[in-house]
Amino acid sequence: MSDRRNDRMAMGLPAVIAESIALEMERDDTIVCIGEDIGKAGGVFGATAGLQERFGADRVLDAPISEMAFTGMGVGLAQAGMRPLIEIMFVDFIGVCLEQVYNAAAKIHYMSGGRQRMPIVFKTAGGNIGSAAQHSQCLWGLFAHLPGLKVVAPCNPHDHKGLMAAALRSDDPIVFIEHKALLLQKGRDFRHHPDIPDRAYTIPLGEAAVVRQGSDVTLATLSATVETALEAAEIVADEGISVEVIDLRSVVPLDTPTVARSAARTGRLLVVDEDYLSYGLTAELSMRVIEQIGLDGLRQIDRLALPDVPIPAALSLEQAVVPGTDAITAKLRAMAQGN
Amino acid sequence: MPDTAKMLDRYRRMGAMRAFDEACLDALRRKAIHGELHVGLGQEAIGAAMFEALQPGDAVVSTHRNHFHALAKGVDPRALLAEICERETGLCGGRGGHMHPFDPENHFSATGIVGASLPVALGYAHAFALRGEDHVAVGVTGDGGSHSGAFHETMVMASARDLPLVVLVENNALAISVDFAAVSPTSTVAERASAYDALGLHVDGTDVDAVTAQFCHAMDHARSGQGPVIIEATCCRFRGHFEGDPEHYRSRDERNRLRAEFDPIALYADRLTEAGVAREDLDAIIKSEKAAAKAMLAEVLADPLPDPADALAHVFVDDVFVAGAAA
Ligand SMILES: Cc1ncc(C[n+]2csc(CCOP(=O)(O)OP(=O)(O)O)c2C)c(N)n1
Repeated sequence: MSDRRNDRMAMGLPAVIAESIALEMERDDTIVCIGEDIGKAGGVFGATAGLQERFGADRVLDAPISEMAFTGMGVGLAQAGMRPLIEIMFVDFIGVCLEQVYNAAAKIHYMSGGRQRMPIVFKTAGGNIGSAAQHSQCLWGLFAHLPGLKVVAPCNPHDHKGLMAAALRSDDPIVFIEHKALLLQKGRDFRHHPDIPDRAYTIPLGEAAVVRQGSDVTLATLSATVETALEAAEIVADEGISVEVIDLRSVVPLDTPTVARSAARTGRLLVVDEDYLSYGLTAELSMRVIEQIGLDGLRQIDRLALPDVPIPAALSLEQAVVPGTDAITAKLRAMAQGN
Repeated sequence: MPDTAKMLDRYRRMGAMRAFDEACLDALRRKAIHGELHVGLGQEAIGAAMFEALQPGDAVVSTHRNHFHALAKGVDPRALLAEICERETGLCGGRGGHMHPFDPENHFSATGIVGASLPVALGYAHAFALRGEDHVAVGVTGDGGSHSGAFHETMVMASARDLPLVVLVENNALAISVDFAAVSPTSTVAERASAYDALGLHVDGTDVDAVTAQFCHAMDHARSGQGPVIIEATCCRFRGHFEGDPEHYRSRDERNRLRAEFDPIALYADRLTEAGVAREDLDAIIKSEKAAAKAMLAEVLADPLPDPADALAHVFVDDVFVAGAAA
C-alpha cells in the first residue's frame, strides 16, 4: 500500500462523507444543509465536520428539534430552486416528519406532471448498534415502498463518497441511509475497501457491485450486512463453499440484472437484509430475479432478515434477531449442501 | 425556622438519584449496557421536586433522560436498574432498555423520540378529565423538545380543553450541541404559555426548595381545573449528551465551571449547613445512598439476561404468527 492510500484509508467514514458534501457544495452553491447538530458539532458522527466553518452558518444550518418544519423547508427550498440536504439524525425520527417526505417530496414531481423537480437529499443514519426499538431501525424497505423516492444505503467509504455526490446532483428526492456501525469505522476496517480518490466523483445510482466472486451461492445484501456477508463468505470458503457477494448499494433503483446474472450462474440465491422481513427487500429482490430468469433458473432461493419484531434492548435478544455471521453461514452451508 | 427534617429528605432524595445514575455509569463501564445511555447528573433537584409534587394516581411521560422521573414516580428502582442493564428481571424484561421503561399500573412511561412524550401525557390528561378523576398528567421535555411541533399541538389541545396537564421543561440550555439561545425565538419557554392562555412558570431548577414549591403550585393549578401549565426549570447537564459524547461543543473548563457553580446537591448542602446541619451528617447520607446503589447494581448484574428463545414474544397480545420466527 502506498503512503497516500494508507492516509486515505485511515480516514473515518464520516470524514469521507463530509469531504464529498464539501466538494459538491463548492461546485454548486445552491446546496444548503439543514439538520440537528450538523454545524457547530459537525454531526453526531462527524459526517458534516468542517462544513459550517467552510460554508457558513446559513448554508450549514444547525436546526432546532423541529423536523416537521425543516423537512418541509427542504421541499420549499427545492421548489425555490435550491438543492437542500436535510439531515434526520437517525432514520427512526422520520416518523415526526414523514408527511413532508412521502406526501410532498416523493409525489410532487409526479403530481406536477413532471414540472416541479424535487432535488432533495434526506441524509440519515440507521442500523443496529444496541439502541433498542426506537433507535435501531433500517427502514429502507419503508421508503422503497413509497413511490417516488430513491433509496441509497452504501457500505464502504468509496461508495459513500461517490453515491453522496450522485445524490446531491440528482434531480430526484433521495433517502441516503448511512449505517451507525459503519460510521464508527475507518476505511481500513472494511473488508472490502476500494481506493477513495481525493477529487469529486460520482457512482451511478442503481448499480450493484460484486464485492466477492464465487460460484456456489449468490448472496445479495447492502449496507453493513455486506461486511457481515463477506466475513461469512470467508468462513465458509475454508469449507469449500464459494460465495459471490453482491453489494446492492441502493434499494431504489434496484439492480436486479446484476443479481440475476450471478444467480443464474450459481443457481443459488440468498438475500440478506437487516431491515424487517415482511413486504421488504428480500421478497422483492427474490421475485424480481425469478421474473428475470424463471423458477427453473434457480436451484435454491432463500432469505434472511430481521423478523417482524421491534428491536429489543437486551444484547442477548438483539443478537437473536439481527442477521449476523452465524445465521448467514448456517444458511450458506444449508444451501450448499442442497441441490 | 427551616424544617431541617424535610430538607434532609430532599437532600437524601437528590443523593439517591445521583447514586442511581452513577450506578448506571458503572454498569456501562462493566459493559452491562450496550446501547446509548443518557444520565441526568446535575438535574437531581427537579426529580426530587417532582417526587413531592406528584400524587399516586398522577401520570408521568418522560424522555430519553428519564431515570429521575421514573424514581420520582415510584417505579421500583431495582426493576428500573435491571431494565437499564438489559436483564430478564427488568421492568420490561430487557425489551425496552433505558430509553423505554414502561410501568403501566404506576402510570409511568417514556420515549426516545424527542417531543413525543407530550401528546401521550395529553392523552392521560384527557382520560383523567373524561373519568372525572383529579389526577394530573406530567409530560416531560428538554428545552430541545420545546421546539417540536408536538409541543405546540399539545398545548393547543390541552389549553382549549383546560386539561390537567403539566408540561415540565427541563432547560439545561443544550440540545446535544445546540444552544437554547441560538434557536429559541423567546428567551424562556415559560413565556410561550401566554400564547396558549396557559400558566407559565420559570424557576431555578438547581434550587430544590424553589423548584419543589413551583412544581406543587403547577400541579395544584392543573388539578383544580384551571388548565395546563408550562413549568420551566433551568439546570445544567454535567456530562455529555450521551455517554461517549466527545462534547466538541463545549470546553472542559466550561463544564467544570457549571459543575462547580450549579450542582444542586452541593448548593443544598450549603443551605443545610447554614441551617445548622453538620457536614459529616450530609456526607454520611451521600455515602449510604452510594453504597445502597452499588449493592443494588451488584445484585442486578447477577440476574440473567433474557433468553434469546423468547426474542419474538410480545409483538402482539394475541397469538399471531411472526414472520422470521424460524430464523
Ligand atoms: C424527533 C427526534 N429528533 C431528534 C432526536 C435525537 N435527539 C435525542 S435527544 C436530543 C436532544 C434533546 O435535547 P433536549 O430536549 O433539550 O433534552 P436533553 O437531552 O438536554 O435532556 C436529540 C436531538 C430524537 N431522539 N428524536
